[in-house]
Amino acid sequence: MRKTLAVASKELRQILRDRRSLLILLFVPAFFLLLYGYALNFDIRNVTLAVQDKDRSTKSRELVSSFVNSGYFSLVGYVDSPAELDRLVDLGRVRTILSIPADFERDLSVRKPVVVQVIIDGDNANTASTVSGYARTLIGEYSSAQMKVLMTVPGSRLPVPVVTVEPRIWYNPQLRSTLFLVPGLIAYISMITAVVSTALSVVREKERGTMEQVRMAPLSPLPYIIGKTMPYFVISFVSAILVILSAMLLFELPMRGSWLLLCIAIGLFLIGAQAQGLLISTIAETQQVAFQVALLSSLLPTMILSGFIFPITSMPIVVQWITHVVPARYFLVALRSIVLKGADITAFWQELVALAIFASVALGLASLRLWREWA
Amino acid sequence: MKRVLHLMKKELLELRQDPRLFSIVILAPIIQLNVLGYAATTDVKDIPLAIVDADRSTASRQLVHRFEGSANFKIVAMPGSTSEIDPYLDGGKAWMVLSIPPDYGRKVGAGRPTTIQLVADGTDSNSTGVAMGYAQALIGGYVQDLAAEAGQPVTGLVQPEIQVWFNPRLESRDFMIPGIVALLLLVITTNLSAMAIVREKEAGTLEQLNVTPLARWELITGKLLPYAFIGIIDVILVLIVAIYWFEVPMRGSIPLLFGMCLIYLLSTLGLGLFVSTISQTQQQAMMTSIFFFLTPMIYLSGFIFPIENMPWWIQPFTYLIPLRYFLVIVRGIFQKGIGLEILWPQAVALFAWGLGMLTLATLRSSKRLG
Amino acid sequence: MTNIPPHDLESASQGPRLAIDVRGLTRRFGAFVAVDDLSFSVEQGEIFGFLGANGAGKSTTIRMLCGLLKPTSGTALVGGIDVSRDPEGVKRAIGYMSQKFSLYEALTVDQNIEFFGGIYGLAGARFAERRKFVLEMAGLHGREDTLTRDLPGGWRQRLALGCAILHEPRIVFLDEPTGGVDPLSRRRFWDLIGDLSHRGVTVLVTTHYLDEAEHCHRIAIIQAGKLAALGTATELKQVFSSRPILEIHASQPVQAMSILDNNPNVEKTSLFGTSVHAVLKSASLDPSVLAQALRAEGIEVSSIGAVTPSLEDVFLDVVERVGAA
Repeated sequence: MRKTLAVASKELRQILRDRRSLLILLFVPAFFLLLYGYALNFDIRNVTLAVQDKDRSTKSRELVSSFVNSGYFSLVGYVDSPAELDRLVDLGRVRTILSIPADFERDLSVRKPVVVQVIIDGDNANTASTVSGYARTLIGEYSSAQMKVLMTVPGSRLPVPVVTVEPRIWYNPQLRSTLFLVPGLIAYISMITAVVSTALSVVREKERGTMEQVRMAPLSPLPYIIGKTMPYFVISFVSAILVILSAMLLFELPMRGSWLLLCIAIGLFLIGAQAQGLLISTIAETQQVAFQVALLSSLLPTMILSGFIFPITSMPIVVQWITHVVPARYFLVALRSIVLKGADITAFWQELVALAIFASVALGLASLRLWREWA
Repeated sequence: MKRVLHLMKKELLELRQDPRLFSIVILAPIIQLNVLGYAATTDVKDIPLAIVDADRSTASRQLVHRFEGSANFKIVAMPGSTSEIDPYLDGGKAWMVLSIPPDYGRKVGAGRPTTIQLVADGTDSNSTGVAMGYAQALIGGYVQDLAAEAGQPVTGLVQPEIQVWFNPRLESRDFMIPGIVALLLLVITTNLSAMAIVREKEAGTLEQLNVTPLARWELITGKLLPYAFIGIIDVILVLIVAIYWFEVPMRGSIPLLFGMCLIYLLSTLGLGLFVSTISQTQQQAMMTSIFFFLTPMIYLSGFIFPIENMPWWIQPFTYLIPLRYFLVIVRGIFQKGIGLEILWPQAVALFAWGLGMLTLATLRSSKRLG
Repeated sequence: MTNIPPHDLESASQGPRLAIDVRGLTRRFGAFVAVDDLSFSVEQGEIFGFLGANGAGKSTTIRMLCGLLKPTSGTALVGGIDVSRDPEGVKRAIGYMSQKFSLYEALTVDQNIEFFGGIYGLAGARFAERRKFVLEMAGLHGREDTLTRDLPGGWRQRLALGCAILHEPRIVFLDEPTGGVDPLSRRRFWDLIGDLSHRGVTVLVTTHYLDEAEHCHRIAIIQAGKLAALGTATELKQVFSSRPILEIHASQPVQAMSILDNNPNVEKTSLFGTSVHAVLKSASLDPSVLAQALRAEGIEVSSIGAVTPSLEDVFLDVVERVGAA
């Protein structure tokens, strides 16, 4: 225990000497949360919409209104000819076109299903699929409303089944993407900070030759590893809390769950992330290689494979397996559950266990690696 | 000029110190592109759905069957009652819960209106919207069939037909992969060069170089070229994977794309070298490049998050990001097949950026302390 | 800007008589004055030693003379070139070996030689000739393909020296070149330095091995950035001409020291290994008087006699005097 503390305090002293790095590790994460929290959102609002209304009836105007009133679309104008349509799309003035056929109103009342065309500029596949989702939803809601009205009008001849959908959105009724992104950002920033801080720590000693000195001491790998991680852990933890507090302050990130559970989740996550950095550090021979591997194993995977932006369930099975070794994946679930959903531990205990396993395995491997080198 | 060659040779010899570096810069792009290319999809499928069937009638089972058969949904649980749904949603195990009321079958049979509840996890706002859309469409089709079975024409039913231009497959992969190519090249080559000069600072060999007749521009160029060489290999590898493995449709000119990649490399390597000249230790170089350059570039370049969505005061800054221009270039060439006559502003911007960075790096690497 | 073109190595030997000419050289780091109004000169072909404690300003001075650090004020001409105005010109004319080993550890001996040769523009027959010279000088024949990091200490230093003189500079700066090297290798190294000097190369070397300093033609002692003493070894030892040094072997050296300190005839004492050196205030004292004083206090004296002052004595003396000033 004392040896661990000795290693830890040496490491701490070294950290304090590199003032610039320390300040970066502590404060920059919170700063970046601000930046990205403001800059990034998926909310697609005011998508430019052109309408080709061949019916111009009350009903068709109702449909158009539902689009406009949703806040998702911003009406650019009405078009009449296909040529005009083409021109607007090519110029990029219009991203979506709603095309309502003639006889819209009549067909509705006369019990014929009506098809409405929605054309979307697929230039940006992300926004295109979201926009199509909005369109489908809006049309679906309009349809439900119409069915309710028309099919229960007294005088309609035969009873027909009418099934309507009542949608309810939990946790984030306004569908603010910020609430979705901010936890992801927290996870990303914490992961990077943690891995980066430890990735060079061991390999630096190897390069400088001070490792020889350490080996001479009667110190076994595990206390050494733990001692090395401790100061960085404290720094990353403080940094993570600062990030979360900033998010709550500036982005109205709610805190519906227990702080204790949150700290446990953060703690497990950070230990795992740092252990990952350490493991890399024990395997690499030069700082250059450590840097590369640390970057490649944390930057893009955390962003893309953790469920931060892209839903894991939509990925091919093989890739889904791979996401099991991305600790951010588990952390995100736990974080969202605690912060946004106010869930208790029954909802995400598996994720906590997974994080604990990840951390133990990484620490164990790092120790094993050192033990073999020192032997 | 000969000095540059000597420097290059020394650099490559030094890199051999850890031969793993070479396997990493060769293998990593391929592996990463593969994994990330498959992962980065905005297509929403296999949406985890929980269904509470409080009715358990033929009619309700029919509805459940519909969802079972849909490729968009995957039923993960069928809890007994609505009081049991919380853990699924809270823990993210199900995104949506479909709740069929107990009198469903009866009402349907009697032709009376009935309502089913669809509860969605709103935290992922994007996917929620898409998921709801699918659910609505599926139920709409179901209703239509119900009515048809009952021999009734359906009134008030509106069905959308969605057409997507320029990307009829709406294969988001075609859109994301060129972006990932750009990202991978940025990440790998920037940090290769970021360590280049600062490594010598740490080792003390930079002082020895400073005492020789080696000029600053020779130092920068000598450091640039070996990594450019490695970068070009990476470019070739990722392009091969993108075009032949993922079969991302390539509507433009491959030579043009390759040329653009070279200009892009100029900017990424230039950035790395610049970071190297402003850092004292390799640790600092690493943190500076990740926090202050790579991360902002990835997030603010329009890779995933649309620039139009960003607050107006941030948008001008995105013009400073080389990745932004390269994304336009690479997506344009792949997806739309446009050529230099349209892309030249981006190409010039990239080139200027790279040259600017290299100049800054040269100026910063003083051979004499103040 | 008046410069003598340094490229022409043939004419360099007819260059200025003073290889190095320093006047009022000063370097400040914020409020800290690292080098304070230094003035001295070095003749062509001289071995000039720079002595001083750690942090006295030796490395800073060398860095300024090599064009690695800009002086705050004062001038220095190296090979006739003004260091402040044309640092690059200076670099072409000199060789430099830094305190910290700065060859590429990941490269082999040959690769390092080839690299530095190439940087200095050596090619073809000339390069082959110089390479052979350096390998022989450093004793590295047969080890051309050894990785530099695998070389033992003495060889590394010689290789570093070799790489510094590949391009046959007329002036060479060596910053603590024998740090951490075994005595035999140190001796060999100084033989090399002597060799260079015979060829007319000027060598300015810093060291804190005082015995090595005896090999220098002239020595400058730097203390707190200032020039504390300058001259040949003999000249420097003149400070003790009227103050002989006695070496006393006693049974309890530390106690002996304090007794002698209280003696009115003794100026100061210091511990040299297990013996005590006492500097007397005048030359006319009989050593046996002190021996008696010690025995009176119960200390056994096995021997007592005058010794030739060493540079260490000089150094300590200078440092004390400057410190007191």
